[in-house]
Amino acid sequence: MRSLSPLRRAGLPLFLALVLLALGGFDGLGAQEMGNLPQVQATPSLRPYWHVFAAYAVTIVLIGGWAFSIARRLRDVEDRLSRTGD
Amino acid sequence: MQADSVSVAGLRRGGMVLTLLGLAGLIFLFWLSFFWVSTEIRQGIVQRIFYVHVPAAWTAFLAFGISALCSAVYLWLRDDRLDRAAACAAEGGLVFATIMLTTGPLWGKIAWGTYWTWEPRLTLTLLLWFIYFGYFMVRHSTEDPEKGKRFAAVVAIVGALDIPFIHLSVIWFRSLHPQPVVVKPEGPTLPGDMLATLMTGLGVFTLLFFGLFLFRYALEGLRAEADLRARQSTA
Repeated sequence: MRSLSPLRRAGLPLFLALVLLALGGFDGLGAQEMGNLPQVQATPSLRPYWHVFAAYAVTIVLIGGWAFSIARRLRDVEDRLSRTGD
Repeated sequence: MQADSVSVAGLRRGGMVLTLLGLAGLIFLFWLSFFWVSTEIRQGIVQRIFYVHVPAAWTAFLAFGISALCSAVYLWLRDDRLDRAAACAAEGGLVFATIMLTTGPLWGKIAWGTYWTWEPRLTLTLLLWFIYFGYFMVRHSTEDPEKGKRFAAVVAIVGALDIPFIHLSVIWFRSLHPQPVVVKPEGPTLPGDMLATLMTGLGVFTLLFFGLFLFRYALEGLRAEADLRARQSTA
């Protein structure tokens, strides 16, 4: 297995730090009331930020996973067709 | 054969355009969600999950609706293209339903203090996921593929009957799940920027679904052609 390049090793924590910084900037934005939704207790923890991050990550992974799965199956079928010939 | 090749190429081209538009839209949606839209005053930051959770739910219901519609017409006309479309839509629906069922509990843990509760909307949505998971099991469970397709079509139709109940469950029953804030008789009650972000999410997820659906449908067309060639070579 190949090890990560130094650039990638440094890039991952940097990316996570940038994401956290970006999430931290939300509190400075204007706040609005959405409607009849439950009130969340004010919490000093970073847990809500991680939940938002996880939700968006799951979205990317599942949509990307479906796209990759379709691409892999397309390649397999094309290989099968090219073996049988026209 | 020539016409099939042309249609497969057209499907892939269409799929590529829609998927690329969808990906660009997804980046824009993430920017809107993270940097533009205002924070909901009572729920705080975790409300931002709403901008992927609701579009995922909408897309899943749309996909399952398409699957059920194609299945119903397949049972009537017995056209294999409709069965393929139903299977492709069901697969996409399952992906988006999984996003909905994953992002919802992530919000619920912060808002309700628990990842899951057996309240009507959540239970009916999980039931829908299992019905469409069963769709693929039923499809491959018979010796005769034609019989499997017919059984699966019935499962798709039965599964889609669950969708109106999911929508109405928060109105009919005492439910922990938030009430609708967009689809309601007096119109949306969301602030403008939140509504704009949500609508962008709905558009983006719909584009992504149809883009990948076209690729998936092209795959089924090629697979049918490969199976036909394999049968001809063994005959």
